[in-house]
Amino acid sequence: MSQLRTLAAVFVVTVAAITGGAALTGYATADGAAPAPEIQNDHYLDEDLVANGTPGQATVEMEAATRSQTVLVDPGVEPQGAAPVSPLALLGLGSPSVADRDIRPLANALIQNGHDVGVYVPDPDQQRRPAAPGGEQGPTQLGERLAGADAFVTFRTDYDEAQLDEIESFVDSGGHVIVATEPGAAFDQPGAAALDATLGVTTEPGYVYNMEENDLNYQRVYAEPAGDSDAALTEGVDRAVLPSATPVGTTDAGSDVLRPIEGSELSTTRASAEAPLLVRSDGVVMVGDSDFLSPENAARADNDALIGNLADFLVTNDRTPPGPGGQQAPTGPTGPTGPDQPPAEPSENETAG
Amino acid sequence: MSTNQPSTVLTSRQQIAVVVVAAAVVGAVLAPSVYASTNDPDDTVAVVEIEGPVNTALADDVESELADIRANGSVGAVVLKIDTPGGAPVASERMYKAVQRTSEQMTVIASVQSISASGGYYAMAPADEIYVLPTSTVGSIGLNARAPQTTSPVQGPSGPDKAGSNEIQSWAKQQTLADTFIDAMMAERGDEFRMPREEVAKANVYLGTEAVQNGFADEIGSLNEAIHAAATAESLGEYRVDTRETGPDTGFPILLRTDTQVVAVHANDPGYGDVEPMGLTYVHLEAVPHVDTVERFSESDLDADRGGSPAGATGNDTARLSGGVDA
Repeated sequence: MSQLRTLAAVFVVTVAAITGGAALTGYATADGAAPAPEIQNDHYLDEDLVANGTPGQATVEMEAATRSQTVLVDPGVEPQGAAPVSPLALLGLGSPSVADRDIRPLANALIQNGHDVGVYVPDPDQQRRPAAPGGEQGPTQLGERLAGADAFVTFRTDYDEAQLDEIESFVDSGGHVIVATEPGAAFDQPGAAALDATLGVTTEPGYVYNMEENDLNYQRVYAEPAGDSDAALTEGVDRAVLPSATPVGTTDAGSDVLRPIEGSELSTTRASAEAPLLVRSDGVVMVGDSDFLSPENAARADNDALIGNLADFLVTNDRTPPGPGGQQAPTGPTGPTGPDQPPAEPSENETAG
Repeated sequence: MSTNQPSTVLTSRQQIAVVVVAAAVVGAVLAPSVYASTNDPDDTVAVVEIEGPVNTALADDVESELADIRANGSVGAVVLKIDTPGGAPVASERMYKAVQRTSEQMTVIASVQSISASGGYYAMAPADEIYVLPTSTVGSIGLNARAPQTTSPVQGPSGPDKAGSNEIQSWAKQQTLADTFIDAMMAERGDEFRMPREEVAKANVYLGTEAVQNGFADEIGSLNEAIHAAATAESLGEYRVDTRETGPDTGFPILLRTDTQVVAVHANDPGYGDVEPMGLTYVHLEAVPHVDTVERFSESDLDADRGGSPAGATGNDTARLSGGVDA
């Protein structure tokens, strides 16, 4: 019995000695657990990393001391209830309208300085009324409103031929016009070229961006006065922020007002963008952006000064609209008119908004 | 007992000798494994699979696998088998940190399969080398987001930023999120990129052939070549490959985009709990299918004629989408 115990003990001791020896050897020769490496990610600690989101402040001031002028705004609202003019509108791609707040800084500056602001919203009932065949064509709804206005601000481009003629007559009679377009307009609005041709302005497809220096996003580009720019429009403007801008131009030389800063590029060409973003040709200002007018963007850079200058531009026009009783509508077209040409309406629209 | 007869009974010494020999045999059998378990030779290349949309579940797994690998002395090198269009920013950062930590300790090589873009690129950037196949896609260093919109005022919340925010502040936040990503990539691979930061920030994607020229990748090579390179870098000689799968194995979530944002879908017939809006993402948008496309092809009554009338199909799908998720 004791022999058996001895044998068992010997077995256990031998196995233990061998495996224990192996374990000890392994432990002794193993690499110790490496200490956790110290990792410094300085790029996360850079003080400049956090973008400055201070909204800023806007003070839109006007200088022009003129008698009360009437400014008509076309925000691009489709007539409610009317059949959409464009088949694109069926797909929800109708012209994007501008909300009231989007132009408040400009509208407020005009109102505070005693001017009238009217908003053109087409009346669907009139819009749908067909013109009598062979009947004399009167002014369109827009024409009626323009007849009583001194200046015109528009955010849409899809005017029909009769309306284009009325706009042209309006400009010829000394009325001032601001056309604010968007890089996306060419994608969802038909007819931009017709308006451009009427006013003698051009746009380039694509948007301007700047990867080096921008206002919190590559598409929110800075624009600065062109060398020989219109002093009245750039007074107090070192830099303006245009949140989504497309290059614009005119047929006139020396019409450039604001150009993108150095380092800006055009999305379609990926080449340096030097074409202006805001141009003036006599009584027409074309700007490749409409977002810069919003309350938030008015507070960026010198946008407030630019908006004040544009307000001055609108009210310092050479136009004298006829009195309320006068029916001096812009000369009607002589060519064929669009099918939605409404008949002459004796009713007058209020111009005060 | 006669001494002339050969005894069949062992003497006690002989018995002890037999036992010792037996014990030695047993010990010799056990010794290698005991030795191995305490000595841990560096003879394994771990392949960690990072596949599918970058999300929390994937980051959990990758973090845990890489932590295990760092603690396991038998793993001498790591290869990340990566195939993802990116996803959530925080999950991308978590994987980035885990890869960075592992890379401090051993050779880590990323082997891009079809795509490693945006958040996927973020995760693999600290690797010692990036292997791509000639037609792999890498890049898209940037943030995917909508333009902040000013919304109508909401009454009720305790503060102005509780439900809604200032447009400019939102722009600043988005720019910070983008810069965080871009700065990290410049810190990791700024010396390799053969282009300035502004060009990197354009968030372009590059095919493997171009990526090895512009510094977005280092070598053209397959997974096996990456594994061999990792083993060679650590002088492993004889090595074995230990593949570690990560993320859920159900094939979900999948990423879809709507007209306004990217969503993660966690089930084939999703209910409200299975759709997760992603908001701001580090994702390569072109690699994420539009929900309309997916729905169109999953129609049970799909026929060839419908494909020819995109207007009708769009209208139908838009209506379905606006009605919420089919439960």
